[in-house]
Amino acid sequence: MANGALISVSNLAKIYANGVGTIPVLQKVNLKIFPGEMVAVMGPSGSGKSTLLFILGLFLHPTRGSYHLAGEDVLKLDRTAQAEFRRRRVGFVFQSCDLLENSTVYENLEFPLIYAGVDRRERPARILAALEQVNLEHRIHHASNHLSGGERQRVAVARALVNQPQVILADEPTGQLDRSHSHLIMDHFAEIVKKAETAVVVVTHDPEIAGRCTRVCSLDDGILYEG
Amino acid sequence: MRLDDLLRVSVRQVLRHRRRYLGVVLAIALGVAGFMLVMTMSRDFKKNFNRDLNLIGGATIIRMYFEDLPDHRPQWFRTETLAGLRRIPGVTDASLVALAGSARTNWRTRQYYFSLLGVDDSFWEVRGLWPLKGQLFHDADVEARKREVVLGTELARRIFGSQEVEGRYMEIDHDLYRVSGLLGGITDSSLANSAFIPLTTAQDRVSGISLPNRLYLRVLTWDDVDRVVAAVPAAVSAHQSADLLRVEVSWEALKRVKHVAWWVEFFIYLALSATLILGGFGIWNVMMAAVRSRTREIGLKKAMGAEDRDILAQFLSEALCLSVGSAILGVALGRLAMEVMGYFIGSSPPLDLFLICLALGLLFAVFLGVGAGLYPSIQASRMEVVSAIRYE
Repeated sequence: MANGALISVSNLAKIYANGVGTIPVLQKVNLKIFPGEMVAVMGPSGSGKSTLLFILGLFLHPTRGSYHLAGEDVLKLDRTAQAEFRRRRVGFVFQSCDLLENSTVYENLEFPLIYAGVDRRERPARILAALEQVNLEHRIHHASNHLSGGERQRVAVARALVNQPQVILADEPTGQLDRSHSHLIMDHFAEIVKKAETAVVVVTHDPEIAGRCTRVCSLDDGILYEG
Repeated sequence: MRLDDLLRVSVRQVLRHRRRYLGVVLAIALGVAGFMLVMTMSRDFKKNFNRDLNLIGGATIIRMYFEDLPDHRPQWFRTETLAGLRRIPGVTDASLVALAGSARTNWRTRQYYFSLLGVDDSFWEVRGLWPLKGQLFHDADVEARKREVVLGTELARRIFGSQEVEGRYMEIDHDLYRVSGLLGGITDSSLANSAFIPLTTAQDRVSGISLPNRLYLRVLTWDDVDRVVAAVPAAVSAHQSADLLRVEVSWEALKRVKHVAWWVEFFIYLALSATLILGGFGIWNVMMAAVRSRTREIGLKKAMGAEDRDILAQFLSEALCLSVGSAILGVALGRLAMEVMGYFIGSSPPLDLFLICLALGLLFAVFLGVGAGLYPSIQASRMEVVSAIRYE
């Protein structure tokens, strides 16, 4: 682990080719995130915030640069190892409260455990523990489409937590929530980084949400700035 | 992904989207049920159809006789030969006949000439005849050598001027016989002009009647005729000389019946195959639609750590649940239809054939599920996470 950093990204670039020319979305990103940190990534629309998050989650491969998680060069992982990485080392929270439709809260949280090969008898306790962290244990058997927007986003957070990942990547997790629910989600993140040696990366437009983080970074023209 | 999780998740998905899959399920279930019904009940159906076929020429009756040549000893069918012929697979019954070329009766000062046949009690069943009036003589009457006579309709009209002849008496070869009934189901005009008495009585009392050198075999279905004809000489030779044996079948009628039956069967199978193929296309179509409508779900599952093979297995398993579930429903419907049809045509569905159909139905369902579900499943598994998550 380089200097104790959980995430170490250097000279990361992502350039899209569209047939006419190239679009540099990320040009030079250098970032170190340590365990227990909650880092906000801000920037205008199209500045590459989500692209950076997708690269950190290994959903996208950068055009160049390096990315180490806990000292391991994760860009060298093959497709199967990338899936393993997403199962065990990162948890993802999406902007649009993406839950599996026609499924219960329990079933939504069970899928990451199924893919991680967790024993069936062990699953209820792990799911309950994750739901307790977001105060939704009473909703365990409710259908996901019967939940409010705030509850759906808390379920998404619980699902990201259920496999006890090293990093939580949240793409505008409060984008569709009102102020009180947004703060509730951020309270949960703060609680999580305090309890476990976990890092949280939050992409947001909202300065108030960014203000709840331990560190704020800004993306502008594909270059990441601290502060 | 473990197998039990895979099955549980797939069954749950199929049940939750049951309305979407209803048409496909019904198409496959009806196709499987139809195939089962045709495969298991067609023999019984042919048997019943065959019985009715006598009305259009008796294409499945085999006629046998010993040729009467001047310089040869006359031959007749022995009891053990008759038993041996009855044991040939596909033969349902056999009847011995002795023929008196011309018999005579007197009625109110007039004389009438007609053909007289000495027949056993199986004759009616073998030739598909039934009593139009009164009754036909039975086994006990033949055993007791009774003087009973059954008249053809034309002969009764000629002699008595009416069909109300039951209980009347008529003289044949100086003996009085009681008319027990009038023969129905006749398509052969020579039989309508004939009289029938028990074979044993004929041998005792009628002068000039032949030895029982004619024999009719009733065959189960038209598919069995060739096989039975081929087996006849050996069955006869086992008990007596078959040198003068002649075997006759209405080959032209049989050929036409087989031809019609083949086309009917072909169109039934074609229609059922079309149903099943449509079912297969239905699975392909609904799975493609499912992959499209669940694109975000696929992206989300990959973001949770699902590998390509997990997604492939899930969609393939859902297609299999759909096809196998439909086939099981089809087997149940087929069994029910077999019981109902069996009740109506008076037969019981053969269990061994049912079990073969069950195995074939399930095997076919697996083939259909994999065949129709593979391409959509591969499409689903190859989706990239980001494009799937951003899919609108």
